Amino acid sequence: MGTKIASAASTTYGKHPNSSSRELLSEAAVKAFDETDISPGDLDAVYIGNFMGGLIEDQGHIGALMADHVGAREAASVRIESACVSGGATFCQAVQAVESGDADVVLAGGVEMMSTTDIEHVTDALANAADDVYENEQGLTFPGIYALMARRYMHEFDVMREDLAAVSVKNHRHAVDNPLAQFRKELSVREVVESKPVATPITLYDACPVSDGASVAIVVSDTFAADHGLETSAEVLGTGQSSDALALQDRAAISRTPAAERAAERAYENASVTADDIDVAEVHDCFTIAEILALEALSFYERGEGTRGAVEGETAADGHIPVNTSGGLIGKGHPVGATGIGQIVELTKQLEGRHPNQVSEAEVALAHNVGGSGASTTVTILGGE
Amino acid sequence: MPAWFDAFTDAIASGDQQYLVCETCGHGTLPPRQLCPACGSTELTQEPLSERGEILSFTEISVTIPKFHGETPYTVVLAELDEGVSLTGQLRDATPDDIAIGDKVVLGTEPHDNETALITFQQAED
Ligand SMILES: [Zn+2]
Repeated sequence: MGTKIASAASTTYGKHPNSSSRELLSEAAVKAFDETDISPGDLDAVYIGNFMGGLIEDQGHIGALMADHVGAREAASVRIESACVSGGATFCQAVQAVESGDADVVLAGGVEMMSTTDIEHVTDALANAADDVYENEQGLTFPGIYALMARRYMHEFDVMREDLAAVSVKNHRHAVDNPLAQFRKELSVREVVESKPVATPITLYDACPVSDGASVAIVVSDTFAADHGLETSAEVLGTGQSSDALALQDRAAISRTPAAERAAERAYENASVTADDIDVAEVHDCFTIAEILALEALSFYERGEGTRGAVEGETAADGHIPVNTSGGLIGKGHPVGATGIGQIVELTKQLEGRHPNQVSEAEVALAHNVGGSGASTTVTILGGE
Repeated sequence: MPAWFDAFTDAIASGDQQYLVCETCGHGTLPPRQLCPACGSTELTQEPLSERGEILSFTEISVTIPKFHGETPYTVVLAELDEGVSLTGQLRDATPDDIAIGDKVVLGTEPHDNETALITFQQAED
């Protein structure tokens, strides 16, 4: 059974100090319903990706809350949490519900409110993605974990600090043209390198910002789409999902991301495509090093070659493998639970030919979403209609 | 902190730290585990763990979580011990400028805020 995306939409990502999760998620849902003939009453299920609602807003049970707020009070609902891949995992669950035949129409949403608390408390909430005892309680922060990976990678492959910064420069440049993005300002390599230290070698502009936002994708079976004469936006060609040890210290490798490699292998096989077939990708660049590791896990580059993407311009919107044309997590923002669905929104626009950084002849698109420092990963491959 | 971690760090403090070895496949891992993460076997036995290891990576933390408020900057080291298991701990008696990947370190532990125990690493003398 085939699965289609009927429509997909995001709020702007950034600071929404006077808003709340329920308002942001329903705003994204209204935008998505506006672009399709599906109405809230058609929803069989509402799945919501969210990471820290219980920590920041003191709100659990977000699946039922959001089903109510998108006008589908009677639909099956659940909140799906897998740290920063809560959105990607939600999308995979929605696709599986449709492919199993159990549901015809599923709203896959993601939402996060983060900016309403101070940086130490956000850092603390994000740290919930790591091993509390062996990592957080030792003073290791979430940026600190990626910093350990970055330093090791630089050591093994003789990579310069400036090579990491090039990823941030590229993604900030992409974000300038994206009206949904949080940062719409170009940065230089020097500004990235000289920004405030966070966890050496990572500085402030190597990292994604603290963001609020929501995204929604409405997923339908191809039979439902055909029976109702729906014009759909994209087709789901394949998904892949894998896990790894939660703590970096327990992984087989720290300068690569084995769970992402496995998720990619499954998604490519599932979709019957290879890395060479991908025309445009959104990857999980929570830190600059993360994009480099993603490019290698997805087989766009050989091990140790991933820095070439941004440094040589090969992953720029006009390069041969455009990556994060939205601005990525670094430029567009990273409302954690929304991010994986936000990637789908951006790629759907590319496949429809209406993206602000449109890639010419985009027919096959890939989303790569990571939880924590790599303990869970989803890869989704979409095709144009 | 959970009781198992107190037991783990108490053992480090008294110099008889342990790790878990899988009887079936030989994979080494850290407590507490009932199943081998490599093969799923439940035949895990405690074996002595060396206090010596090598730095895999390190980072100096400037933005931290409330528990470590006011303690920045400090350096976190990821080190692989001689038996092949790795641990995360804070660098003591040295700065990040003094160390490099591959340097030898010695495992230790110390109390933090008089309640929980921290894993620590110091540069090895020889
Ligand atoms: Zn085993």
